[in-house]
Order: sequence, then structure tokens, then C-alpha cells
Amino acid sequence: MNLRRRTQPRTLISLVPMVDVMLILLVFFMVTSTYLNLDMIPAVRPSESGTTEAPLPEGTIMIRIGADGIAVLRGQPFDADALASHMTAEIASEPLTQVLILPSGAAPMQALISVMDAAALAGVQRLRVLRLEALP
Amino acid sequence: MKLNRPTRAPHSETIVALIDVVFFLMVFFMLIGRMDATAPFEVRPPIAQSGRDMPAGGITLAIAADGALALDGEDINREDLAAAITARLAQQPDLRLRINAHRTTELRHVLPFVAKAEALGLRDVVLVVTPERNE
Repeated sequence: MNLRRRTQPRTLISLVPMVDVMLILLVFFMVTSTYLNLDMIPAVRPSESGTTEAPLPEGTIMIRIGADGIAVLRGQPFDADALASHMTAEIASEPLTQVLILPSGAAPMQALISVMDAAALAGVQRLRVLRLEALP
Repeated sequence: MKLNRPTRAPHSETIVALIDVVFFLMVFFMLIGRMDATAPFEVRPPIAQSGRDMPAGGITLAIAADGALALDGEDINREDLAAAITARLAQQPDLRLRINAHRTTELRHVLPFVAKAEALGLRDVVLVVTPERNE
């Protein structure tokens, strides 16, 4: 009389549904992912937002940005490279030079960012963006 | 003479390697992809080389070329913007505001919001830029 327990066959779990789900997830992430290399430039600096007045720097540069996006310094139009080299020379002679940017309201965003970028690359520490408001 | 071809056992291809590859690819795309709220309009940020890496967190104000606004991916008008920012600022005092303006947006659509955010008490306002020229 044979009383040995019969060996049950191993139940195999099919991996195919899991592969299907993973492929769907993979396609989802591939389609929905965006690859943007984004950086940031501070628009409000702590030195500007405080209520205490900082000592006035020795030199000040006023850069105007026209409605056409061209930066003008002391009446002369400058491109970004020339502006950066000019500010570098100014910073070398006077490290506390303050740069004021007065853009036109019709100037494009890229023009302001280009001037701010040139100032940052030149090592300007004091940078302010001015905005004219109409009287109520 | 019997010359029957011997029947081969069906060679079961292992799919474990495939699962490994798919799993790694999935984790890669999960880590690389940004699950950020995108604006309902096209926004191509201005180009700058001196930008710093942008950490996560905060709220994003997108500004289209024509001045349309979106806060965290949802359309919003100018009148409701201050109230929305104030409500978020009450929950998180050190809130960061990222202004993601299109590169051709006129500054009259952008600079008033910087001043407004500062007046509302935001101390961390940044402009979104990109270092890539060919974007």
C-alpha cells in the first residue's frame, strides 16, 4: 500500500501581466516627462527687501533698456558682451559700484535678463531694477 | 528504420532580463522627468548663463507672451492672483515665488508682479531662466 503524499506540481505565476503593466508605466513616463534645464535668477535680493538703508556706494551705473530691447549706457547703445566688459572694468576700479537698470515697460523679458546676466558675470554685487509708476 | 526527428523540448525564453531592463528604464524616467505643473500656454524662459540651480518647492507664476497668467499650471486672472498668493503665504511664510515668463513678454507684464509679490511679503522671488540657447 502506497501511503506517500503525492507531490503537487509547482504553480507558476505568469510574469506576462507584470511585464505589460511595467511597459505601460514605462511608456507613460517616457511620454509625460519634460526635459527642461531651468535655472533661476533672484528678482528680490535680501539687501533690497530690508528696511535698513545700506551705505551708498561710491559709483553708480544707470543702464536704460529701450522698448526695442537695446541697452543704453551714458547715451551709447551696448550689446551684452560690451556691457559685461564695461561693467567688469568698473567693478575692477570700484568694487562697490551699484548698477541700476531702468527698463522700458515695452522691452522684452530677454533684454532685462541679458543685462542682469551681464552684470552677474561681471561680478556686480549691487544690482537694482527700477520701475517707473504713473502717479494715481 | 525509424528516422523520426527527436522532438526538442520547447525552449522557454527567460523574461527576467527583460523585466530588469524595463524596470531600470522606468526608474530612470521617473527620476529624470519633472512632474511639475506646466502652464496651459507656451512659455520659453529667457536665456542666461549666470543662473543658479533651481530647487524644488514654491509656487510658479507663468506669464505668456501676451501677458496671460497661470499659477501652478492653472489659469488665473490678475484680480485673483494677490489673494491666491496671500493664502499660500499664510500657510508657508518662507514661500518661494518663481516667475516663469516667456522671453518675449513685455516687462510691463512682469515687473509689476515682482513689486506686488514683494509688497505682499514674499522675500524669495526668482526669475526662471535657461542656459540652453537651442531650446
